[in-house]
This record gives sequence, C-alpha cells and structure tokens, in this order.
Amino acid sequence: MMDLIGSLAAVSGQARLIVDIAMYFGLFVIVAMALNFQYGNAGVPNMGCAVQVIVGGFTVSAITTRLTFWIVQQAGVQLLPYRSNYDWVYNNFPNISVHTNGFLKDQPMLCISLLLFSLATSLILGAAIGWLIAVPAIRLRATYLMITLITMADASQIIGRNYVPLSGGTLGMFVPNVFAFYPGDRTVLMAVITLFIGLISFFIFRTMLNSPYGRLMRSIRENEVTVGSVGKNVVGIRRNILMFASGITALSGCLLAFYFSYVVEANYQRAFWTYWPWLMLILGGPGNNAGTFLGTALIVAMRRVIIVSKWFFDTVLFFPISYFEQILLGALLIVVMMFRPSGIIPEKLLYIPGINYRQLVREEAKVDWRTAPKAKAGATRGFGLFRRKKEAET
Amino acid sequence: MLLPAIWMSAIVYAAEITLLSIGFTLTYLTAKIPNFAHGTYAGFGIYTVFTLTRILGISPYIGFPIAFFIGGGVSILVYVIVIQVLSRMGGGTIVLTIATLGIQIFLTAALLIYAFWIRTIYKTYTVGFMLKENDFQLFDMPGIFTVAVSICVVTVIALHYMLTRTKTGIAMRATAEDPELSSVLGIDINRIQIYSWFLTGGLAALAGAMIPLWFSSTPTTGSAMITSIMAASLIGGFENVYGAIIGGIAIGFSEILLTFGLQQTLGMWVGEYRPLIPMIFLVAVLLIEPAGLQAAYEKIMASKTGRRFLSTIGWKMEG
Repeated sequence: MMDLIGSLAAVSGQARLIVDIAMYFGLFVIVAMALNFQYGNAGVPNMGCAVQVIVGGFTVSAITTRLTFWIVQQAGVQLLPYRSNYDWVYNNFPNISVHTNGFLKDQPMLCISLLLFSLATSLILGAAIGWLIAVPAIRLRATYLMITLITMADASQIIGRNYVPLSGGTLGMFVPNVFAFYPGDRTVLMAVITLFIGLISFFIFRTMLNSPYGRLMRSIRENEVTVGSVGKNVVGIRRNILMFASGITALSGCLLAFYFSYVVEANYQRAFWTYWPWLMLILGGPGNNAGTFLGTALIVAMRRVIIVSKWFFDTVLFFPISYFEQILLGALLIVVMMFRPSGIIPEKLLYIPGINYRQLVREEAKVDWRTAPKAKAGATRGFGLFRRKKEAET
Repeated sequence: MLLPAIWMSAIVYAAEITLLSIGFTLTYLTAKIPNFAHGTYAGFGIYTVFTLTRILGISPYIGFPIAFFIGGGVSILVYVIVIQVLSRMGGGTIVLTIATLGIQIFLTAALLIYAFWIRTIYKTYTVGFMLKENDFQLFDMPGIFTVAVSICVVTVIALHYMLTRTKTGIAMRATAEDPELSSVLGIDINRIQIYSWFLTGGLAALAGAMIPLWFSSTPTTGSAMITSIMAASLIGGFENVYGAIIGGIAIGFSEILLTFGLQQTLGMWVGEYRPLIPMIFLVAVLLIEPAGLQAAYEKIMASKTGRRFLSTIGWKMEG
C-alpha cells in the first residue's frame, strides 16, 4: 500500500483493481457495520441505508460545492454564474475543473479543511435524516419501520433526480477535487482515507457494543417488553441507535462523492446501498463485526471481479452481465439464509466480566421445568445468589 | 367518450392497484410478512400479455387467464422453495421480509433477461411498450376500461363470497387468525397457505396484464408500484381485505387525479414527483392512525351514535 501511495504515476492494470476493491470495501464496510450495529445488535431493521448514503452525497454536491465557490470568489477568482438552476448545471464543469481545482491546487490546508467540513456536515445531516425518517414508524412494529424506510429510499432518489439545486438532477454534477494538491493518483489516497475512516468507525462501534449500552441494545433485540418493564426508554434508545448509525452511514456517501469527484442520484440506488449491505450482513453473520468484514470482502471482491471480467462473461451469456449479477446476488441471499441461517461466522455469546458462566450453564442444565416437581411454598430454586441468601436466612 | 380521459385513466389504475393490494393484504394475513416481491408478479402478467400479442398475434384478453395461472405458479414456487423452508427453520418476520427483497431482485432480473432475449430474437421493442392498438372499442370507449372495472368488481364479489361462504375461505380466515388453533381443528395449514399464495400471485399477474393496455410498461413497472400497494394496504389497516379495497381505490384515484390537479394549478413539474404521493399517504396514515380504516371502523362500532348511524343506512351488524 505504501508503494502505491509513493508512486506518482497513474495507477493501472492489476494495481487499479486492488485500489478499486479497497475503496469499495471501505465504503461498504462502513455501511454494513452501521447496519450490523442497528440490526445485528439492536434489532432495528433499517432498510433505508440508501437514504443516509444519498444524504452524504448531496451534502458534498449541494453544500461543500457552494461553500467552495464562495471561498474561491472571495479569493478573487472569477467564476461563471452559478445561481440559477440552468447555470448551476451547465457552468458546473468549467467552474469546477478549471477555476476551482486550479485554485485549490496551491491550498492544501483549505483542501483538508473542506474534506473535514464535508465529513462533519454529512455526519450531522445523516443523523438528522435518521431522526426524520424514524418519526413515523419507530414506535410501531418492525414491519411498519421496514415499509416506511424502503419507501423513503425510493423517495430520496426521486427528489434527487428532479430537484436540480441538490445534485444537478439526472445530469449529475462535478464536485471540487479536495486532493488537487496531491501530485500522485488521487484515488489511492482516497482509498487509504476511506479504509482509515472504516477502521475508526470499527473501533467506535466495538467500544459501544462492549459497553453497558451495547448490552442494553442486545437486550432490546432479545425482548423489548422486558427492557421496557425495567424502566428503559426503548423507543428513545432505538431512535438514538438509528440516528447514530445514520450519521456514520452518511460518511460513506460523502467519501463516494469525493472518490468519483461526481455526484448523480443513479450512483445511490436502493439496490446498491440497501440490498447489498443487507446481503453482506446476512452472509457474514449478523451480530459480529468479523462476519461483517468477511461478508463485505467477499461480495465486493466478487462484484468487482465480475465487472472486470465482463468481456469474458458476455461471450458466454446471451444477456447482459448486470442482470446475471442481480440473479446471482438475489439467489445468494436465499441460499445463505437456508443453509447458513446464522451466517459464515455465527455470533458469539457476549462475555460480561463478573459472571460465572460455568455455574450458570450447569444450573440451567439441572433444572428442567417441565419434569421438575412443583416447588413448595418457601422453597427456592434459581440462581445461586438468591438461594444462598435464603439459606442463610433459614 | 363518456368520461374525460384522465378519469378513465384513474379508474383503470385504481382497479389495478385494488387487485394488487388485495393480494398484498392476503399475503400479510396468512404469512404475516409484507411481500416486497408482490409488485414484481405484475411484471409476469405484463410479459405474458406482451408475448401473446406481439409475438403470437393473439388478442391480449386471451392472455388474462393465462397470466392469472402463470402469476399463481410463480407465487406458489416462491412460497414452496423459499418462504415455507425459511419459516419452518424458524425465521422471523424480518428474515422473511429480507428474503422477499432478494426474491424481488431475482424475479425482476429474470423479467429483464426475458425482455432482452425476446428483443434479440424477434427484433422488436420489449421495454416501454403499450398495447393500446390491440384493444377493442366498447360504447365508444377503449375496451380495457369496461373490462378492468368489471374484473375488479367481480373479483371483489367472488372474494367476499369465498371468504364468507366456502370452506376454503373460512379456513383461510381461521389460519390468518390463529394457525395453531386451526391446525388443531383439522385444517391443513400448508394447503391453505398454497391456496392463498396462488390467489395473491394470480390476482397480481391479472392486474399486471391490464397495465400495458393503458400505461407504458417495462419489466420494472410492477416493482415500482410496490409503494402504492403498501400505502393502499396500510390505509385499509394492513390486516383487512375490505380495507385494502377502499385503500386501493383511494390511492389509485388520488395518485392520478391529484397529480393532474396539481399540474393544472402549480405547473407541469409536479408530475415528476408523482411517486411521492403514495409515500405521503403512507406517512400520514402512520402518524395519524397506524391501524388505518380498521381502527376507524372499530371506533364507530364502539360508539352508540356510530352504530345508530350505520343501522339507519342499512348496515348489517354482527352481534
């Protein structure tokens, strides 16, 4: 990897494929880990990942681009008009590629702060949209939540396609190159940054899952009525989880926009950004991050290899490869669900320090409630702690 | 023409959405899952009619019963191969719903491959077609208008008869209420499930067969209608077939007439946002009353004035 960063020439051939796979692995692992956080651990079936990803993309195209234009104009560079819808789309390319990127070339600090600003803004806006899409159905059954979110994913794409000030409608629009100062291949740096952000979010998720809050999430997944009965605000916790994971998911869309230097709604389809993360999660095994990593790596590598060897497949098949890919991925989900319902790496029991698991298991094995004689009044049967206490009393 | 074209369009669309949402609700009642692949069954109806009309040169109306059986067959296959196996393994609602999402992607890709294959062999347009020129004229109107309305009415009456008078329909309702208890009473749940999946798939494909006679059709037309179907079913309360009929009519009319009206007042750009209308309905229903018309009906039945009002308009009440 260091070799690739060091090389200043454009990456090509085999190295190009590796960079591409690394970039997509980083993007999808962020979404899939956030999904694992929501569904695998808290049982919130978020079928609207595409909404949050698209918000990240629109943050770059609608907010960062305007901010950059404003900064560039303040610095005295003359830009073509961009206020009206027509100018926004048709003067976009010269504005970005000539004026803005030319200005950004000598301003590394400005570039880095623009990148950080976009990431922070998409984090906040992603969390906001997570709150917004949770409003109608977070209190209701999981079915209603799934229906609402999957509809929202389609709706966000329709708005992006038709509302020009967001991302230029169907034509899409270019966004400022925040690595204009970097003389080498921009995509390599982008892949490294994406993998780094994926690593950071992995540590954040891991810390949260091993904390008391993570145990609370798992208990909500197992039985929310019980959790509610001990005084926890189940709806509030589920909403917080959805908002937090939405923010992280939006980072992925933001990074994708910078990777392509281009935003168009067709890049953020529901099939890509909702169905595939779910497939990765189910394939790897919901409930543990190792499975999510493995599932993401498998699917991304398979998809990229299919695309690269497109010409070979086109001579074998009588129909376009993209349909074949859909059939393959659709069938894969069903097959995994049937033959490996808990995924390639099943979830492990959470270790809580201070509990003697061996004793717990032994006592549970001893007690078979169906055959056990009815307990007399005052007699105790249960966990060691209570029994010892009662025995001490008598 | 007896009616303006926009009204006829709305009526045809409402009939299709009604048939689709009845099937969606039946699936939800018997299998307890929202079937995201339900809209895609309509695509099979579309391409059955297309093949018969454009390739074999037969009238599209002969394709309606064939589409019914093809859709039913696809639906039974989906149930037997996927849903039954997964629910026996103990998959919950969420797992089964995700499985239907996978089925949707699979079936849509199958339809796209079929359309591509027909295009390479017969060198005709297979995407974005209409069969209006193959329609006949009745009462100075396109035949599909009369046919769609009568199919919808006949289906609703037949379904009501089946669910209240025949043994299969009563067994279906019992299975929807409590599968374990009805299996104790000697009902073969598996057979009832297969009947209900056949019926839902068949109705969906029948609705799909009517689409190309009025609207432009592609392999993804059916999948794109799933939002309208879910909104219609949700208006009816999600667990009530009669509610789904009212919801389907409401969504079908409002989606076309509201778009048209807004286009007249605000400008033509509103037409692009037409898919948002069912979504707005869906969110509004969830925010106001998640149980939809079912809850409204129960509220009326609970109050004295409501019961008196219903008896004055001649509503028969149980109990």
